[in-house]
Amino acid sequence: MEVVTSPKCATPSDTDAACSIASIWQDVLAQAVTGELVAVLNYTSLAEICQSPDEVADALEHAESERGHATAFTAEGKKLGIEVPNNVNAKYWKRLRNAFLRQIDQRDIIGCLIIQEVMLESFAVASYKRVGRVAPGSLGTTFSAIAIEEEDHIDHAMSILRAARALDIQHFDDKVHELHVDVMGTLAQMFAREDGDGHCELCHGSCVKQLLPKVGLTSSELRGASLQHYLRTLDLLGLPGEMTLVWATQLPV
Amino acid sequence: MPLDFALIAHQESWRAAADVLAVLRGPGRTPIPDDDLKDIFPWFPPRAICHIDHRSVLGHSVHGIYIDSFIPPDRLGRDYRAENIGRVRDAAACAIKAGARIVSLGGFSSILIEGDSDLLPEKGETVFTTGNTLTVAFVVRGVKKACALQGRDMSKATLLIVGATGDVGSGCARCLAPLVHRVILNARNIDRLRSLAEELSAGGTAVDIATDLQQLSVQADIVICVASLESPSLLLGRLGANAIICDAGYPKNLSPDDMLEGCTVFYGGLGQSDAGMSFEPDVHRVLHHHPFPNVGQGCVMEGMVLALEGRFEPFSQGRGFITPERVQEIERIAARHGIHLAPLYNAQGPLEEAPCQTGGSTDERQIAGSSRAV
Repeated sequence: MEVVTSPKCATPSDTDAACSIASIWQDVLAQAVTGELVAVLNYTSLAEICQSPDEVADALEHAESERGHATAFTAEGKKLGIEVPNNVNAKYWKRLRNAFLRQIDQRDIIGCLIIQEVMLESFAVASYKRVGRVAPGSLGTTFSAIAIEEEDHIDHAMSILRAARALDIQHFDDKVHELHVDVMGTLAQMFAREDGDGHCELCHGSCVKQLLPKVGLTSSELRGASLQHYLRTLDLLGLPGEMTLVWATQLPV
Repeated sequence: MPLDFALIAHQESWRAAADVLAVLRGPGRTPIPDDDLKDIFPWFPPRAICHIDHRSVLGHSVHGIYIDSFIPPDRLGRDYRAENIGRVRDAAACAIKAGARIVSLGGFSSILIEGDSDLLPEKGETVFTTGNTLTVAFVVRGVKKACALQGRDMSKATLLIVGATGDVGSGCARCLAPLVHRVILNARNIDRLRSLAEELSAGGTAVDIATDLQQLSVQADIVICVASLESPSLLLGRLGANAIICDAGYPKNLSPDDMLEGCTVFYGGLGQSDAGMSFEPDVHRVLHHHPFPNVGQGCVMEGMVLALEGRFEPFSQGRGFITPERVQEIERIAARHGIHLAPLYNAQGPLEEAPCQTGGSTDERQIAGSSRAV
C-alpha cells in the first residue's frame, strides 16, 4: 500500500486552525481506512481456509463490505479536501494482521473470528460511534452508519462463536485469552496515552492522540469505550465477567 | 457452587480503586499509573471482583460475590445520578445473571435507587434488599454505646439528624426519638421533614425541623450525619459541649480534627462478624480499611445475614419504612449468626481498647485513644 503523507492544507490561503483540524481528521480517517483494509485482507484470507462454499461466499462478502467502508471513508476525506493515506504495514496494524495470519496458518477459523469479529470490530464499532457523534456533517453520519454495519458483523459471528464455546468451554476461553494477550495487547499499546514504541507509521505528523480534543475526542475515551465494548461482547459470548475483567486489568498501559 | 448472595458496591477513593485493580492485575506487574487508572476505570462494566464466604457462629456458611459497579470515586455527585443509576442497574443485572438469591444494594446504590425498585432490571428469582435496616440497627446501637460509655443520659439529650428524611435517617429518627429529650431533623425537602416531624411528634417527642443547618440556634448533644457534610464547619455553633457525632454518611468525611475539637466522632453503621469472612481473590484488606477484622457496612452485611438465616426476602425496600420493630428483628437475626456492632473507631483509629470478638453487648467496654476519651 502506498503511504500518502501530504495533507492538502499547506497553501497560504488555508488558515492554521482549519489546517490543524483537517490534519486531525486526516489521521483519524487514515486509521479507519487502514483498519478497514486490514479487515479486507483478513476476510479474504479467511475465505481461503473456509471449507463450505457458503462460508467462502460469506467471508468474501464481508471483505467486500469492508472495502466499501474504506472507500466511503476515503470519499469523506475528499469532501474535506483531504487525501487519506493508508498503510496496512504500519507498525500496529501489521502486528494485528500477523496475529490473524497465524490463525490462518493454523487453519483456525474460530481464532480468526475471535480476532476480527470480537476484538478488532469491538474497537471499530466503539470508536466509530464516538467519532460519529462529534465529526461534522456527512463525515459523522458515515462513521455512525458504518458503526452500525460493523455491529451487524459481530452479531453474525456471535452464534458461531457461542456454538464453538459450547463444545469445549475451557479450550475456547483459553483460546480467547491467548488471542487477547496478543491482539488486545497490541490495540492497548496503540491506544496508550504515550507511544512507548515510537511513531505509529500512519499519522502524517506527530501522534494525533494529543490533538484529538480539538475535534471533541480524547484517546482515553476511545480506548475506554472500545475496551468496554469488547468486555460486553465477551459477556455475550458467555465468558465469566470476573475473568475477563482480570484480563483487561492486565493489558499494557 | 450455588450463589447465596451478591453485594453491589463501589470504591470510595481512587486509592481504593488502584488497590483493587492491583490485586486483580496480580503480583509482579507494575501498578497502573494514576492517569491511566482514571482513564480506564470508569469504562469497566459492573462485574464480580471477588467471591466471599461468610460464616455463621452456628457452623454453616454462605457463598456470594462482590460486584463492583465501577462508579468512579469522583463522580458520586448529583450531576452523575443518571449515569450511576445505569451502573447500579448493570450491576444488578450482573447479580441476577450470576444467580444470586439475595442482593444487598449497598448504601450509595440504595440512595441512587431511592426505593424505586422499578429502576432495577427484571429480577427473576433474585430478591433485592437495600440493607438499610441493618445499617440503622448499627447506627442506633453505636449511638447508644457511645452515650453509655460517656455516661450520658440520653433522655436529656438533643439529637440532630442530618439527612433525616432518607431511609436510614428516618429509621434512626424513629428508633431514637422516644429515647431523647428533643430531636432536630435536617434535610433538604421541607415536605418530607414536616411529615416525619408530625409522625414523631405524635409519639410525644419534641421535634424541630431545619432545611439549613445555619438556621439552627439550638445545640445538639448527639449528631447523626446520614448525609455527608460538605464540611464539618457546617456543624460549628450547633454542637453542645462534648457532643457525640456519628458519621454514618457516604463517603465518611468527618474526623475529630480542630473544627470538632472536644467532640467524639465515630463511624456509624458498621458491623463485625465473629465467625468471619474470606475473600477470593483476597481483596478484604483492600475493600475494608477498618482497624478491626471482619468489619463491613451494615447495608452490605444485611444480605449475608439474611442468606445465613435462609430468609431470601427483600427485607429492606422502599423508602421510609424502617421501624424499630424491623430494626430489632434484623439485629436479632444478625446476632444469632455472630454479627453485631463493630468496635467504634474514626479516621484517627480505634476508639476502643480491644476489638470486639466475642459478640453480645459491648456497651461496657472502655473507649480510648479518640480526640476525647469517653
